[in-house]
Amino acid sequence: MAFPHRPDAPELPDFSMLKRLARDQLIYLLEQQHEVDKLYKVESKPALSSNEQLCFLVRPRIKNMRYIASLVNADKMAGRTRKYKVIFCPQKFHACEMVLEEEGVYGDVSCDEWAFSLLPLDVDLLSMELPEFFRDYFLEGDQRWINTVAQALHLLSTLYGPFPNCYGIGRCTKMSYELWRRLEEEEDGETKGRRPEIGHIFLLDRDVDFVTALCSQVVYEGLVDDTFRIKCGSVDFGPEVTSSDRSLKVLLNAEDKVFNEIRNEHFSNVFGFLSQKARNLQAQYDRRRGMDIKQMKNFVSQELKGLKQEHRLLSVHIGACESIMKKKTKQDFQELIKTEHALLEGFNIRESTSYIEEHIDRQVSPIESLRLMCLLSITENGLIPKDYRSLKTQYLQSYGPEHLLTFSNLRRAGLLTEQAPGDTLTAVESKVSKLVTDKAAGKITDAFSSLAKRSNFRAISKKLNLIPRVDGEYDLKVPRDMAYVFSGAYVPLSCRIIEQVLERRSWQGLDEVVRLLNCSELAFTDTTKEDKASSECLRLILVVFLGGCTFSEISALRFLGREKGYRFIFLTTAITNSARLMEAMSEVKA
Amino acid sequence: MDWDLKEELRDCLVAAAPYGGPIALLRNPWRKEKATSIRPVLEIYSASGLPLASLLWKSGPVVSLGWSAEEELLCVQEDGVVLVYGLHGDFRRHFSMGNEVLQNRVLDARIFHTEFGSGLAILTGAHRFTLSANVGDLKLRRMPEVPGLQSAPSCWTTLCQDRVAHILLAVGPDLYLLDHAACSAVTLPGLAPGVSSFLQMAVSFTYRHLALFTDTGYIWMGTSSLKEKLCEFNCNIRAPPKQMVWCSRPRSKERAVVVAWERRLMVVGDAPESIQFVLDEDSYLVPELDGVRIFSRSTHEFLHEVPVASEEIFKIASMAPGALLLEAQKEYEKESQKADEYLREIQELGQLTQAVQQCIEAAGHEHRPDMQKSLLRAASFGKCFLDKFPPDSFVRMCQDLRVLNAIRDYHIGIPLTYSQYKQLTIQVLLDRLVLRRLYPLAIQICEYLRLPEVQGVSRILAHWACYKVQQKDVSDEDVARAINQKLGDTPGVSYSDIAARAYGCGRTELAIKLLEYEPRSGEQVPLLLKMKRSKLALSKAIESGDTDLVFTVLLHLKNELNRGDFFMTLRNQPMALSLYRQFCKHQELETLKDLYNQDDNHQELGSFHIRASYAAEERIEGRVAALQTAADAFYKAKNEFAAKATEDQMRLLRLQRRLEDELGGHFVDLSLHDTVTTLILGGHSKRAEQLARDFRIPDKRLWWLKLTALADLEDWEELEKFSKSKKSPIGYLPFVEICMKQHNKYEAKKYASRVGPEQKVKALLLVGDVAQAADVAIEHRNEAELSLVLSHCTGATDGATADKIQRARAQAQKK
Repeated sequence: MAFPHRPDAPELPDFSMLKRLARDQLIYLLEQQHEVDKLYKVESKPALSSNEQLCFLVRPRIKNMRYIASLVNADKMAGRTRKYKVIFCPQKFHACEMVLEEEGVYGDVSCDEWAFSLLPLDVDLLSMELPEFFRDYFLEGDQRWINTVAQALHLLSTLYGPFPNCYGIGRCTKMSYELWRRLEEEEDGETKGRRPEIGHIFLLDRDVDFVTALCSQVVYEGLVDDTFRIKCGSVDFGPEVTSSDRSLKVLLNAEDKVFNEIRNEHFSNVFGFLSQKARNLQAQYDRRRGMDIKQMKNFVSQELKGLKQEHRLLSVHIGACESIMKKKTKQDFQELIKTEHALLEGFNIRESTSYIEEHIDRQVSPIESLRLMCLLSITENGLIPKDYRSLKTQYLQSYGPEHLLTFSNLRRAGLLTEQAPGDTLTAVESKVSKLVTDKAAGKITDAFSSLAKRSNFRAISKKLNLIPRVDGEYDLKVPRDMAYVFSGAYVPLSCRIIEQVLERRSWQGLDEVVRLLNCSELAFTDTTKEDKASSECLRLILVVFLGGCTFSEISALRFLGREKGYRFIFLTTAITNSARLMEAMSEVKA
Repeated sequence: MDWDLKEELRDCLVAAAPYGGPIALLRNPWRKEKATSIRPVLEIYSASGLPLASLLWKSGPVVSLGWSAEEELLCVQEDGVVLVYGLHGDFRRHFSMGNEVLQNRVLDARIFHTEFGSGLAILTGAHRFTLSANVGDLKLRRMPEVPGLQSAPSCWTTLCQDRVAHILLAVGPDLYLLDHAACSAVTLPGLAPGVSSFLQMAVSFTYRHLALFTDTGYIWMGTSSLKEKLCEFNCNIRAPPKQMVWCSRPRSKERAVVVAWERRLMVVGDAPESIQFVLDEDSYLVPELDGVRIFSRSTHEFLHEVPVASEEIFKIASMAPGALLLEAQKEYEKESQKADEYLREIQELGQLTQAVQQCIEAAGHEHRPDMQKSLLRAASFGKCFLDKFPPDSFVRMCQDLRVLNAIRDYHIGIPLTYSQYKQLTIQVLLDRLVLRRLYPLAIQICEYLRLPEVQGVSRILAHWACYKVQQKDVSDEDVARAINQKLGDTPGVSYSDIAARAYGCGRTELAIKLLEYEPRSGEQVPLLLKMKRSKLALSKAIESGDTDLVFTVLLHLKNELNRGDFFMTLRNQPMALSLYRQFCKHQELETLKDLYNQDDNHQELGSFHIRASYAAEERIEGRVAALQTAADAFYKAKNEFAAKATEDQMRLLRLQRRLEDELGGHFVDLSLHDTVTTLILGGHSKRAEQLARDFRIPDKRLWWLKLTALADLEDWEELEKFSKSKKSPIGYLPFVEICMKQHNKYEAKKYASRVGPEQKVKALLLVGDVAQAADVAIEHRNEAELSLVLSHCTGATDGATADKIQRARAQAQKK
C-alpha cells in the first residue's frame, strides 16, 4: 500500500514560505493597517458588529459591492457613522469602485488591495482558491483572472527561480503565459541568474479535458471530495461519520499520516488498509502489557501521544469510509459507474441514453443527471438531435423551466451540444484558425467558437490509448497505469497529455491529438537553454490547471511521478469535481 | 570668467546658485523709463561665465533674484508676483505672494534653501513679512507683526530651526525673532556694549551659525539658536559691509566669516588677527557648503579653509605620514634611495595606512589635475607596501575626481568641490547636467560609473527625448525616428512619458507615433484617453490583457460616445463586449437588453426574458408576459425547442395559478414533475392524470412518478391497482425496490413474482428470498447471477443454498 517514492525522487520546494508570506501580509493588513479585532464571515445579512469601523475582505465582485453598499446605506438611514474599509483580494477592479460610486457610498469607504493568490493546501498542492474562474472564463468569456494567474506565476518564478521548460495547451493558458512572460520581461533581472528549482511547468486549460472532470471519482481523496466536499483542504465530517452528535472539521493533507497513505488509493483497497492499520495499532497498544515501569514510562511519554492521534485519525477515516460505503455500494452507484464506463468506451450508447433518461425521470439528482448528459455529449461529439430534445424536455419537466438557461450555458461552454449535421471538421477548423492568426482576435475568447468545437473524444481516446485493454481483472491493488484512478477503465486525458509531452519534451508527434483537441495554434513549448538546471530540478514538474483540477488527476499524476521518478507539484485555480463544474453552469433561482 | 560684461556688477541685480550653480544678472534693474532701449536685460551665465540665456525684461520692476534648489530662477517683482524661469531663460510659471504683498509692494526678498526645498521670504512696504517654506508647494504664511516697528529693519535673515523657518530682524539695537505664532525680542549672549544698530547678518550654509555686524565695527559670531556665543571680533571698520557670509567646512572646528566691502575682503574668526585681501574689482560672494565662491568681472575664485589632510601634507616641513609618503614617491621617481628612507620612517611608525588615506583625501580636495595625480600616485605607491589595503576608497576617489574634473571644465562650468559633490550626490549632479542639456556628458558619466541603466543612461535618454519633442521645427516623423533610434528598447525608458510630454507641447500626432514604440500596451492607454483617442485606447487596452484597463476605457467611451456609437464600438471588440455584458448583467439590466437587441441576438434576448420571468417579475401576469416575449425571441432565433418549452412553461404557470386558487397549497414555480407529484400526494389523482395528458408526460416518467408518490403515501392498495392497470413500462423491479425502501417486505414479494426473468434474481434477493433466487439463477445458468446470489448467502442460514449453487457450478463446468 501507499507506494513510496523512488529513492532518487527530487525534494519538493518549500511552500511554507508562501504560507508565511500570506499570513504576515494579512496580519499586517488587518491589524496594523486597519486595526481589525474581530472577524466575521461576509454573508447576505446585516452586520451585527457595533464597532466604529467595519473592514471587508472580499473578492472583487459586484455582488459583494452591492452588499457593502446596502450596509453603508442602512447605517446612513439609521444615522450611524462608521468608517468602512474594503480590502480587495487579490486585486481591486474598476467596476467595483464604479458600483460603489453608483450606489453613492464611494466617499464613505476606503479601498485597499491584498495581492494574495497562492494558498498552499498541501506540500505539493497550491490553490488560487478562485472557484469562480471556471464560470467567469469558460462560460462568460471574462478574462479578468488571467492577470491574477500571470501574477501568481510571476511570484512563483521570483521565489523558486525561472522555469527552464514550459509547455502549455489552451487559449487561456496561452494568454496567461504571454502575460506572464511580459511581466518577467518588464521586471527583467530579478529572476536572471537564479538557479531554477522547478524544471518544468505545464499549463493546461480545463476545457482541454472536460471528460476527466466529469467522471465519478473512486480514489479515496476524490471520493471524499465528491461525498463531503473538501473546502480549502479541510472537510466537515457530519454526525454520520463521527458517530456522535457533532460534526468534525478535519484537515486533509500530508500531515495526516493515515490519510496520506490512503488518499491516492482506489476505494476498494481503503477499507482493507484501514482495518490492517487498526490491527497494527491495537498490537502496539497491546505491547504495554508486560512492560515494566520504566518501559511504561517511556511508552507513555513518547509513543502514546502518537498512537492516540493515529487512533483518532483512523476512527475518523473509518467513519468516513463507512459513510461512503453506505452511499456508494448501493446498486445505483454501481450502475452509474457502469454507465460511465460504457460512455467512455463508447459502447451501448442507446442503453446509456435510456439509463440517463430514467435517471432524470426519477429525479435522482439534478446535478448528476446533468453530468451524465454532458458526459454523453462530449464522448459522442454532441447528442443526436432527437436525444438532445427529449433529454432536455425530460430534464425541464423534472427540475423546472429555469434550466433552459442552464442548457444555454452548457451549450455555450461546449459541454452539452447537439451533433451538427453537415458542418465538417475541417470547415470549423479553418474558421477557428483564421480567428487565431488575426492578432487581435487571438486574444478573444469568442464565446461562440466553442459552439462549433467538436470534442473528438473518441478519436483522441484511440490515439492516446486512453481505454486500456485489459486481459482479465484489473488489479487495483497493484496499479499498472494511471487508469487505476477510474477503476482501470480510463486513463485521464489531461494526465495522459502531460505524460506524453514530458516524455517527448515537446508537442512533437502529437500534432494530430492537438488538432483533435481544437488547439492547433494553442499548444506551445518554450525551452530555454539552462545549464544551471540540476538533474534533480529537471524531474520536478509544476502542473497548472486553469479552471480547476480534480483529486483524481492529482492522484494519477502522483502515481505517474512514482513510476517515472518525477515529482509533480500542482497549481490550480481551485479544486473541482463534476458537481462543482455542473453547479457553475447551472442557473438557479435566486 | 568667460563673460564679457559691460557693466560693473554693482549695477546689476546678481544671484548665483549654490553648488557651482549658474549666475543670473539683471542689468539696469532700477530704471523706470519705458523706453525699450534701456529696458532691463536678464542674463544667465554658467559659473564659468558662458552665456546660457539673455532676454529683455518686459514685466514689472524686479526687487530680488534667486535660484531654487532645482536651479530655477525666481524673479520677485515689486508687486509680489514671482516669475519662474528655467536655466535657459525659458519661462516656467508664475505665482503671487498674496494680496497683502500686492498692496504694500515688496521691499526686500530672500530665497533660502531648506531640506523641504526652496523658500521665499518677503518684506513688504508695511514692514510685514510673508513667507513660503517651499515655492514648489506654495503655502503663504504671514508672519506676526513686530510691535512698534516704524521703519524697515536695518537687516534681517531667515533662520531654520527644527524644520521651521523663522525670521530674525534687527531694528536699531533690538533683535526680534518671528515665528508663526509670535514675535519675541531676543538678545545676543555676550554682546559687546555700545551697539546702536546692526548693519549686516549672515547665517551659515547649514543654518547652524549666525554672525552679526554692528555699527561699531564689531562682529558677533554664535549659534543660530542665539544661545551661545562662539567668538567675537572687532574690525574697527564702521562702514556697512557689502556682503557678509560664513566660510566654514562641515565638521570643522574652525569658524570664519568673510566680510566684503567695496574693495576689501576680510576673513575673521576665533583669532585676534584677521586675514585681509584687497579686491581689485567689484566682487560678489556666494556662500557654499565648504567655503565661499568669489566672482568678479574677470575672475572666479574659491575661498575655503584648507582641509586637514591637505594641510598635513603641504604644511612646510610637515612630518605627517602623508607628507612623507608624497616625498617618498617623488624620490622614487627620481630613482633615489631616499624613497626607501622615507618609506621606512612611515612604516616604523606604523602609519602607512594613514598616509595612504591622507593622500587619497588630499587628492580629493585638489582642483588641479597634476596635483591630484601626484597625490594619487603617492597613494598608489604607498598601497604597494600594504597588505590588504581595501582598494575601493582609492578607486572611488579616482572615479570621483574624473567626474569632477570633467564638470569643472569651463565648457561645462560646474565648479563643485569634492565635499559639495558628495553632498549633492551623483543623481542630482546628473539631473543638473540634464538640466543644462549636457546629455552626452551625463551619459558618459553614467557609463563610466557603471550606474544601473534604469537610474542612469535610460533616465537621461528619456530626458533627452523629452527635450527632443519640444523642437518644433523638426517633423513628427523625424523626431519619432530619432528618438527610437537612440532609445531602442533600453530598459526603464517609458515611451509613454515622452509621449505625454509631446502631447503637452501640443504634438498629438507625434505622441501617438511615440506610443507605438511603447512595449507595454497598458501604459499607452491613459495618454490615449487623454488625447481623446478612445477607440485606439480600447484596442490597446484589450491588447494588454488587463481587463480592468479595458473597463476603464469602456466607461470613458460610454460617457464620450452616444449610445449607438458606443454599441457599435463594442460590437467590434468581443472581449470588451463580454466584459461590459458582465457588468450590465449585475448593474444595468436594461442596457444589457439593448445590447442584445442591437446585435439581433435573439437567443440571448430570450434567455434574458426567461431570467426576468422569475427574477424580476412578481405577478403571474408579468411573468407570463415576460415568457411570451422570450418565446417570441426564441422563435426569431429559430430555437423552436426553447420556444416550445417556454410556451409550455407559460401554460404550466397559468395552470399552477389556477390550482392554487382552486385547491389551495403551493404550486407556482414547481416543475411539471413536482406539480403532478404534489397533486397525487394531495389526493387529486384525476387532476394529475389530466395534467399528465395535457403536457404529454411520457408513460415511463408517469409510472416512476406515481410509483414514488404512492409509496410515499404508503397507499399500497392504490399502488397495486396501479400496477395492474396495464403492463408496466418500467418493469416491476422498481416496485420491489420501492416497497423494500419503505420496509414493506410483504408488498414487495407481491411484485417480485412479476419481475421479468432478467431481473428476477435481483428482485428475489431484494426481498431476501435467497433460496428461490438461487433456483432461478441455476435455471438461468448465469454465472454472474450465481456469484451474486452466492455473495448474499450468509453462513448459517443459507448453507444449503450455497452448497446447491456450488454444485450447479461444478455441473456447469463439467459440461
